[in-house]
Amino acid sequence: MTDHATTAVLDAWVRRFAALVSENRDHLTELDAAIGDADHGSNLDRGMKAAVAALDELGPTSAGPLFSKVGMTLVSTVGGASGPLFGTLFLRMGTSFGDLDEASPEQLAAALRAGLEGVEARGKAQPGDKTMYDALAPAVDALDKAVGEGTGLGEGVTRARDAAIEGRDATMPLLARKGRASYLGERSVGHQDPGATSVALLLQAAVDTLA
Amino acid sequence: MTSGPGVGIVVVSHSRALAMAALGLAGEMLHGRPVNIEVAAGLDEHTFGTDAVRVKEAIEKVDGPAGVVVLMDLGSAVLSAELALDLLDDPTARDRVVLSSAPIVEGLIVAAVAASGGASRAEVAAEARAALMGKAAHLSSPDDVVPHEQPAPRGEEVVGQFTVANQHGLHARPAARLVSEVGGLDATVSLTNLTTGVGPVPAGSLSRVATLGALLGHDVEVRASGPQAQEALEHLLALAARRFDESDDTSPVPAPDVSPAAAGPGGA
Repeated sequence: MTDHATTAVLDAWVRRFAALVSENRDHLTELDAAIGDADHGSNLDRGMKAAVAALDELGPTSAGPLFSKVGMTLVSTVGGASGPLFGTLFLRMGTSFGDLDEASPEQLAAALRAGLEGVEARGKAQPGDKTMYDALAPAVDALDKAVGEGTGLGEGVTRARDAAIEGRDATMPLLARKGRASYLGERSVGHQDPGATSVALLLQAAVDTLA
Repeated sequence: MTSGPGVGIVVVSHSRALAMAALGLAGEMLHGRPVNIEVAAGLDEHTFGTDAVRVKEAIEKVDGPAGVVVLMDLGSAVLSAELALDLLDDPTARDRVVLSSAPIVEGLIVAAVAASGGASRAEVAAEARAALMGKAAHLSSPDDVVPHEQPAPRGEEVVGQFTVANQHGLHARPAARLVSEVGGLDATVSLTNLTTGVGPVPAGSLSRVATLGALLGHDVEVRASGPQAQEALEHLLALAARRFDESDDTSPVPAPDVSPAAAGPGGA
């Protein structure tokens, strides 16, 4: 009835995310140029490439250490706010997973929920501030709901991905209230948030590997 | 006041060059006194950004019983510093660390001076928070400057007076020298600019002394109380006579005026 994500699959998820960030690097940078300092794409790409290299070095491991390694690497290599923010997301997921060799849909949902709470505590963003939170919170809620209804892993992450995309798109008309974009005031309206865009890529990567 | 190694300071900035330059400016104020300062800035020498792991290491390097005050520029520097607290090896250490909302350049200068004088973590943090007061006082009218609490004199006061002999007045560096001189002594010392009426301000606070606006020729009253009051007064007047050890000043120094029985509760 329920399917599990092995460490190998979770590893594939991280690598797929890194690949998507790399493919979309210029797009992310363009979004950030409009309402930030034009470095989100290059920062996150640098961070995820370093994370993949760190995983190569780490070798076979369990879910917790895998996500913790990704988190710690992002913290030290991204440079901008996405370092502490995406870093905290992965670190909290790692703590939540612990020693697991495979994660059930419930365990995955719990890990993403822990990650969301970490991002919220770190960045202090509220819904509607035009941040990564606006894509991540709906995604985590959608996954929780799906898991509660007893759907499988694939259906769960697909719904989470769809919610992330909706959340990302909804950032476009918002007035930024956090981060560099918040200094732009009205000029931030009409632009899609880069952080939310990256979150949508994370969930797309989940669909590509876990579904 | 703390004994042993003083409060440690960590500077977190997106730019290593900026942090090192701020450190250089602060160093000018310390007159050779050692302060425990670590920089956690930039991803490397040339790349802007912050790294929470590096901040964590810097905190651990300067940590001690007196604790740590962390200065940050903005944005992700703050996020990285907050994350660093979560990463500390010793979970009790975070209770000894203050993340200061002070501006990084002005805050570092006054914090370094306070720490070098043996101030406690709370005092260093308070100094850093008040770091903009000197500039604010200079740019606004005296009425706009918010009065702050003055420590009450501890019993009998000795009183003296000096005339500022420094060409450029009692600006940041001589003020820092004054604060350091007073900091090590067991005395409560206050200063009042008799010429302009500004004061009294505590002589132990660089950010408050900076509000005196004492220019060349201004008369400054010194009041000291406590076990080392006389010593503090004498040290301070001697220092004023030496133009606060500013080597590039050559104007003649007027004689200081010491009148221990002039005022204060209880008389001589």
